[in-house]
Amino acid sequence: MSKKTLPRNLVMSKFTHKFINKKSAFTLFATSMLSLGLTACLPNEKQDAKIVINKNPYPSTYQALPAQSTLLTNATILTGTGERLDDADILLVNGKVMQVGKNLSAEQAKVIDMAGKWITPGIIDVHSHLGVYPNPQVESHSDGNEMTSPNTSEVWAEHSVWPQDPAFEAARAGGVTTLQILPGSANLFGGRGVTLRNVPSHTMQGMKFADAPYGLKMACGENPKRVYGSRKVLPSTRMGNVAGYRTAWLAATEYKREWDKYDSDYSAGKNPQAPTRDLELDTLMGVLDGEILIHNHCYKAEEMAVMIDLSNEFNYHSGTFHHAIEAYKIADLLAANGNCAAMWPDWWGFKMEAFDMVEENAAIVDAVKNSCAVVHSDSSTTIQRLNQEAAKVMYRANENGFALKEEDAIKWITANAAKSLGINDEVGSLVAGKNADVVVWNMNPFSVYAQAEQVFIDGAKVYDRFDDKYQAKSDFLLGQNLSNHANDQATEAVTAPVSKLSTTSSTK
Amino acid sequence: MKNTYLLTSLRCALFGAFTVTTSQVQAESIAITNATVYTVAEQGILSQATVVIDDGTIIAVYSKDEVPESLNTDTLIDAKGRILTPGFIASQNLLGLVEVGAVSATRDGSDKKADLTFDASLAFNPKSSLIAYARKGGVTSNLVMPHGGDKVFTGQSFVVNLSGEFDSVIVQKNAVMVSLGSSRKGSRALKLQTLANDLEDAQKELAKAEKAEAKNKKAKGKDKKEAKEPSRSQKVMYALLAGEKPLLAYADRATDILALLKLKQQYNLDLVLVGASDAVLVSDEIAKANVTVMMSAIDNLPSSFDSLHNSLANVAKLTKAGVKVIISNSGESHNINQLRFDAGVAIANGLAETTALAAITANVADTFKLNSGRIVVGKNADLVLWSSDPFEISTKVDAMWINGNAMSLRSRQDALRERYTADTDMPRSYTK
Repeated sequence: MSKKTLPRNLVMSKFTHKFINKKSAFTLFATSMLSLGLTACLPNEKQDAKIVINKNPYPSTYQALPAQSTLLTNATILTGTGERLDDADILLVNGKVMQVGKNLSAEQAKVIDMAGKWITPGIIDVHSHLGVYPNPQVESHSDGNEMTSPNTSEVWAEHSVWPQDPAFEAARAGGVTTLQILPGSANLFGGRGVTLRNVPSHTMQGMKFADAPYGLKMACGENPKRVYGSRKVLPSTRMGNVAGYRTAWLAATEYKREWDKYDSDYSAGKNPQAPTRDLELDTLMGVLDGEILIHNHCYKAEEMAVMIDLSNEFNYHSGTFHHAIEAYKIADLLAANGNCAAMWPDWWGFKMEAFDMVEENAAIVDAVKNSCAVVHSDSSTTIQRLNQEAAKVMYRANENGFALKEEDAIKWITANAAKSLGINDEVGSLVAGKNADVVVWNMNPFSVYAQAEQVFIDGAKVYDRFDDKYQAKSDFLLGQNLSNHANDQATEAVTAPVSKLSTTSSTK
Repeated sequence: MKNTYLLTSLRCALFGAFTVTTSQVQAESIAITNATVYTVAEQGILSQATVVIDDGTIIAVYSKDEVPESLNTDTLIDAKGRILTPGFIASQNLLGLVEVGAVSATRDGSDKKADLTFDASLAFNPKSSLIAYARKGGVTSNLVMPHGGDKVFTGQSFVVNLSGEFDSVIVQKNAVMVSLGSSRKGSRALKLQTLANDLEDAQKELAKAEKAEAKNKKAKGKDKKEAKEPSRSQKVMYALLAGEKPLLAYADRATDILALLKLKQQYNLDLVLVGASDAVLVSDEIAKANVTVMMSAIDNLPSSFDSLHNSLANVAKLTKAGVKVIISNSGESHNINQLRFDAGVAIANGLAETTALAAITANVADTFKLNSGRIVVGKNADLVLWSSDPFEISTKVDAMWINGNAMSLRSRQDALRERYTADTDMPRSYTK
């Protein structure tokens, strides 16, 4: 029996509640019937074995790296809950945050003085293509966009992830501990996204965030209509886009009705014939069941408003709007509907739907009550400095009438991102009981000069700027710069980090 | 005019020595006092200094002790200790040649038919909405590098200021661009061969023409022939060979870089390496050849097999090896205002602050012979007054002058933000 037979919505973020409340009774009933499986045997009719959809056929094998109890002391701590603690300590035990506060002590914990340093939750990127559009950017590794049909809900990004993408290491050096890998945006339905722990592994499963819900990538606007319009198939217009979504949700509604009927008939002791499995519709049904969260590439205000109505038409939640360039125009609507908006601080102009950028976008969205503003990267470069991406928003906003502080802005790349991914019970803030995903910064992380010095995932150190032992290297880069001469390691120095070089030279 | 005799005489003297590009608006005389002046010149950093500008030019830079008692300028600005730098000079982008990336009708930076004579400055749009936004990052001028055609010689670059006026183009066709290295089709070898062959051919043609010219000079009467006018392409090649125009060569892999250094030596080219991801492997050779490298400070991933040694520390490493580096934001046109953050990242990764500043000011000016990039008497008054450390995210531009004219720091983005944060019961379209 799969780990995930219980509905994910029980542990999901707030924005799914509206939907769940509306139909939770039915969903819970149907799903619990699925989970009962073979045990539901009633006397009236001889029943065949129950057909149960395995919802987790590629399960996580992630194991936290070796860790010891650690007490980080005297730091400025941004908890991710809107709090800032000065001169404070944090205790990490058994992979969890045990305590955050002043003057903590713990026997048998390794105590590290972090005076002058800043500590934040691990950074979370809700929008990444690492591993599916990896470096080097060669055709052989271009695995992020299944551009063969406007609806490819059947594809799963996890089946494309190349865990040796060197960008995972670079992102880790920027404090990224969790990231969602999404398919591209060519299609109306691009497929499932997967949430990964940013640990080195030679398999995708070794990185997979064990209990994170799947995401379904949808795309509004220019991309689908351009890709398919040029092939003279629907969609070639934005109205074609919406017709495409509606057709798919109609089919999914019917598919779900068939499965629900199968489940209820089976529970009633009948011996019904199970519906024919359809991978595409499995994913869409997962959304209708509240188990899969929507991650919708959608730039423009009027399109987001339509997508919200679409979700109401088919009774699912419209989730997170990604690249929401115009979220600031509908900040009220997004908050009222419980949508997260994932935004860049300043990317713009590369296409028409990205023309109305304002740098304060995330701040304007954030200012509304019950909002969920997220700063994302969609880039193997800026994922390394999401702290600075958030800083740009904060400072530009403060120049224009806002009064945001570091403890507010950090939420955009930690707690709110966790909420968007449905993992905020586990990660995203430094609160007792949460996973010990921690970044130690050499200074205020909202500085251009800030660097992550140490990164912990589940209490285990996975990166240390000053200790080569904690600097993983992808298979791809290993051995690329070996010396051709026996007894000569001179060329190795070329790729040594600068900190190491300067240390060497200063001791000379 | 209220200029003192000294200021006036200085200005007159300078007019003879420099070609000053003035905007349509006649610039007033301004004294910026009590500034922390990053001169990016011999004077280094001056605290409580005063910079006087008149008619678009810097006419005096006074250190704390040299400030005269009276400064009779039209305007007096107390910098209150804030930092004054030369305006930043961005490079390697399509500013003014593209409005919306995916809207092909707004793109003028490339053309299949473009060859080495391609002059995209004719298409430059000073009214582009990208320009005001770029100013917010302290950028006052820019080396535009169009993508050109698909030949090895892709076209020529040009320099603009960011005044937004119709006379923004400072110099047309100032350097020749070639694109080398890996490509999806064909071999990089042929690109190098084409470049080498074209240089060799041009040199032969030039020698032949010079010989004919010399012969012609000696000839008398009817033996005298009219000199054959070189073709447009030949003229460009001759300018390259004479070192009158820099050769901007895109190349990442060390082998391509070494091949270019060889050509530079052979033909005495004014070579500038662009991209240069793996330049660290041959940094000593580049330094020895006195070649400037124009590169990104934030590309640190092995994006291709030509770029396996990309690193955030590369700018610092090259500089340490003695290479003059220009930091550019590689291809991005809409966000060139982030140049200062890229320089900040380079500082965080080992580059000295003053070197980082030079990498986006004086180094660009020197390489392309621009009369800007330093706060020195005689230079264009392209200046930026910062609220604090110019590289910090928390800092903003408080004031900017281009050719002595105070520039607006408001962009279309500000108008949008104001519209959607305004308190109104009416549809937002009424908020203007």
